[in-house]
Amino acid sequence: MISARFSADIDRPLLLATLLLTVIGIAFVFSATSMPSASAEHGLYLKQIAYLVIALVAGGLIAAVPYRIYEGKTSYLLYAIGLVLLVLTIFIGHVGLGAQRWLGWGPIKIQPSEMAKVATVILLASQLANRKKDWTQIKNLAGPVLTAAVPCLLVLKQPDLGTSIAFVAMLFTMLYWAGLPFLYLFFMITPIANVALSFFTPAWLVFLGLLAVILYRSRIRLLPLLIVVSVNLVVGIATPQIWNHLQPYQKQRISTFLDPGADAYGAGYQIIQSKIAIGSGEVFGKGFLHGTQKALAFLPEQHTDFIYSVVGEETGFMGAGIVAALYLLLILRGIKVANRARNRFGGLLAIGMTSIFLYHVLVNIWMTVGLAPVTGLPLPLLSYGGSSLVASFLQVGLIQNVAMRWREY
Amino acid sequence: MRADPIALGGWQRRERTLTIVVVGIFALVILRLFVLQVLEGSRYRELSEENRIRVEVLTAPRGEIRDRKGRLLADCVPSFTVTLDPFDKAYSRAPGRLDSTLAALGPILGTDPAVLRDKIQRERKMSFLPVRLKRNVDIKSVAFVSEHRDRLPGVQVESEPLRRYPLGLMASHLLGYVGEISDKELADPTYSDYLSGDLMGRMGIERRYEKLLRGQDGKRFLEVNALGRKGDFLGEKHPVLPKRGTNLTLTIDLDVQRAAEDAFEQGARGAVVAIDPRNGEVLALVSKPNYDPNEFSTGITQERWNEMSGGGNYPLFNRAIQAAYPPGSTLKPFTALAGLESGAITVGTYLAQACTGEYRFGSRLFGCWKHDGHGRLAVHDAIVRSCDVYFYQLGLRIGLDRLADFMSKLDLSGKTGIDLPQERRGLFPDQAWYDHHFGAGRWSRGIILNLAIGQGEVNLTPVKLAQITALVANGGTLWRPRLIRSIGEGLPGSSVPDDSLRRELAISDRSLSVVRAAMASVVSDPQGTGGQARVDSVTVAGKTGTAQNTHGKDHALFICFAPVEAPRIAMAVLVENAGHGSTAAAPIARKVLQAFFHPAPPESAAVVARR
Repeated sequence: MISARFSADIDRPLLLATLLLTVIGIAFVFSATSMPSASAEHGLYLKQIAYLVIALVAGGLIAAVPYRIYEGKTSYLLYAIGLVLLVLTIFIGHVGLGAQRWLGWGPIKIQPSEMAKVATVILLASQLANRKKDWTQIKNLAGPVLTAAVPCLLVLKQPDLGTSIAFVAMLFTMLYWAGLPFLYLFFMITPIANVALSFFTPAWLVFLGLLAVILYRSRIRLLPLLIVVSVNLVVGIATPQIWNHLQPYQKQRISTFLDPGADAYGAGYQIIQSKIAIGSGEVFGKGFLHGTQKALAFLPEQHTDFIYSVVGEETGFMGAGIVAALYLLLILRGIKVANRARNRFGGLLAIGMTSIFLYHVLVNIWMTVGLAPVTGLPLPLLSYGGSSLVASFLQVGLIQNVAMRWREY
Repeated sequence: MRADPIALGGWQRRERTLTIVVVGIFALVILRLFVLQVLEGSRYRELSEENRIRVEVLTAPRGEIRDRKGRLLADCVPSFTVTLDPFDKAYSRAPGRLDSTLAALGPILGTDPAVLRDKIQRERKMSFLPVRLKRNVDIKSVAFVSEHRDRLPGVQVESEPLRRYPLGLMASHLLGYVGEISDKELADPTYSDYLSGDLMGRMGIERRYEKLLRGQDGKRFLEVNALGRKGDFLGEKHPVLPKRGTNLTLTIDLDVQRAAEDAFEQGARGAVVAIDPRNGEVLALVSKPNYDPNEFSTGITQERWNEMSGGGNYPLFNRAIQAAYPPGSTLKPFTALAGLESGAITVGTYLAQACTGEYRFGSRLFGCWKHDGHGRLAVHDAIVRSCDVYFYQLGLRIGLDRLADFMSKLDLSGKTGIDLPQERRGLFPDQAWYDHHFGAGRWSRGIILNLAIGQGEVNLTPVKLAQITALVANGGTLWRPRLIRSIGEGLPGSSVPDDSLRRELAISDRSLSVVRAAMASVVSDPQGTGGQARVDSVTVAGKTGTAQNTHGKDHALFICFAPVEAPRIAMAVLVENAGHGSTAAAPIARKVLQAFFHPAPPESAAVVARR
């Protein structure tokens, strides 16, 4: 249990940022659903408060038990539960916004992908904590890559591209933390960049040139070098060929899949409205509850995915800046905790949980200010939604768990 | 040995790198917020208070459809559409305001406000686009909307291309029409690139070649203020220009089509399909009665739709491809072919019993249409004079198995594969079919007598009948009928022969020439039944048919091709409940052949000549 000795080491700035963001979130869920035209959603902030109670209990419990018990066999068990829930979602899940993302028992609905992210980080941390393996060796990466790939593909099947990429982001951050050279991570990303660029020959040639220079300077051994070069060449040459041989309906499916807003006059419109909302907040905002754009047309999403534009409209540059600063604080403290931990598993656990926050905050806020496409990811702690809130508190709870026991080897 | 990265402080360097990356990401956010809220803030404040950004769809004009000589069958003209933007600020502030707007608009547009309201409620869930209230409104409505702009928030008059069929009723079944996409289709992923309220091809060429004809809609972002529009929104979204649909040139010859349509009497029901036997190109395809596809372009009322799709005559029904009729005596040339090919008869074979006007089979009497009989005949005269008793005996000689076998070679129970949607199959039953439908052993061998003369269970669509007539004309090639001569800007007349459309059947020239000669005599011989189809200076070969049916008076049929020596046109004519083929169907064929071989000089030329 949490003795005085441990609780003294709770990361206070992290705790403060978490609680402040949650309270701000409830306030803006209230604001975003307060218009007369949203009468069906008026009570949502009360539900969010109820979710908060559950989240606090869950976060407290997971912080209390020494984190070392999640290592090893427990991590596989948690991961297996996460996968089962994801598979169930595919077969008996509820459809929402064109994808199967929810699993329900009567009135309770959960989004298993939120829990799967936490479970996957725990297992990855457990695997990468093994000091007997040299994590700078490519051949040792098969285990962690597989661990991230399975839930990633299951989520992709729903389809929820945004969340599935979260697994990739987590994996890369944790591999980096575990000691994989940055260069290797770079080479792992190159085939993906290659697919994206292969349609535009000049950019592709520039990219290949750069890759060649970096490969030459890096002086990696012959076999890895050959693998990197051949994979990139094959991918780059084959992609346009394959694309050209696809049926029109297949192309349509892929582009809708990559960019769900491509067909809707909606997505571009949503971004414009979000930018008008944020921009019209100017320096100090229109005042809490006095936003006008929220009454328009983000439709079901102004209290979930687009909550940050309501914050921007009503509290202006000041408010939006403070919220961004709180997220920055939360993430930097997470990195700090990961760095201070003496135990390798603890450090990896903390950095993994932090990376989930980083990815979601980055993608969501960039989307609302028009720097990233519409993906449908919630803003952790702020957006309405029980699964996301509970998962966020589990993440914070685990980071605090590591923070309190940083001295343990 | 490598430094152990796990040792206390071993993550130091990684922590620093990661911190820099994270701070960079947030710096970008703050910078972006600064640009949006501080630098451009007042501009966005203005947009949020007074104006509204709206998407305007730039509808692509559908491709034009022309006949083989380049004459226009379908194009697009500009028209006005009244739209309403349900996301206008006035409605989000006071939802009740919508009712007063619709109450004011309803009478002007001639639509019940409740209907408009339903449409808006439905469509606002699917997109952020304004809802089309009514297409092709008149200038009075345009003026009303402009004058009462202050009372009609979010209401706009937009210009849209309207599908027009300049010839009205002409070739309506062939062309099809356009109508708004249904909710059911919207839910279907096949149509994921359609939006609620979009038009799509229904029936005919419009449906079959929807993908080509549709083109691609464009869009632009507009800034709209209380007084109407202010111009393009100077954001980063550039307008996407519409791409007009692909033009199609049909194989149809408008002169032939018109002659066939005009040849029917007012109120008659029937069909004509004329094909070029050399390549399967459809020269005319008529179904009567027809409808005016222009009525659909602007959306029709439910009552009018009910009237069109039912109403006794079913004008929307394409009788040329969707209806199958007993072919009657028009099948006799093919029964004769089956006899010659199977070796059941030769040219000189006389059958056992002379025609006395009736034929006894078991305990049943089968009559010949000529009650005083034809006497003893060989195959040529049997076709010319259409002797039923000869064909009863021929049917028995061939037997059901061999007859059904031959007919399946002609694919009588299949579709022709013409490039129109909803073609129906024909039917030539075989033993298995009877066993299945009547029960094994529960049907009499006597059915072969009826089948041999094209009665009983055999059913063919007019297009199938035209296809097999073309096969007799061209010496045994079964062409898949087609309607497209060229796609896009290809010159009319540059049709590409396509061998995937042809199927050579192994039918001997000897048998075919016997049947061709007999069909020529049907028209030329004074004894023949097809004299009404004679055309000056062209030799015509044909066969009449009079099909009994359960729906009243006999159907009149006629098949023909011409010129006999080198056929360039093959045709099937059907007139429902009109009586004899020789008197009701053959004259229609004559008028079509007349138009094909001796087209009237163009009107302008005639005027010049008279001067």
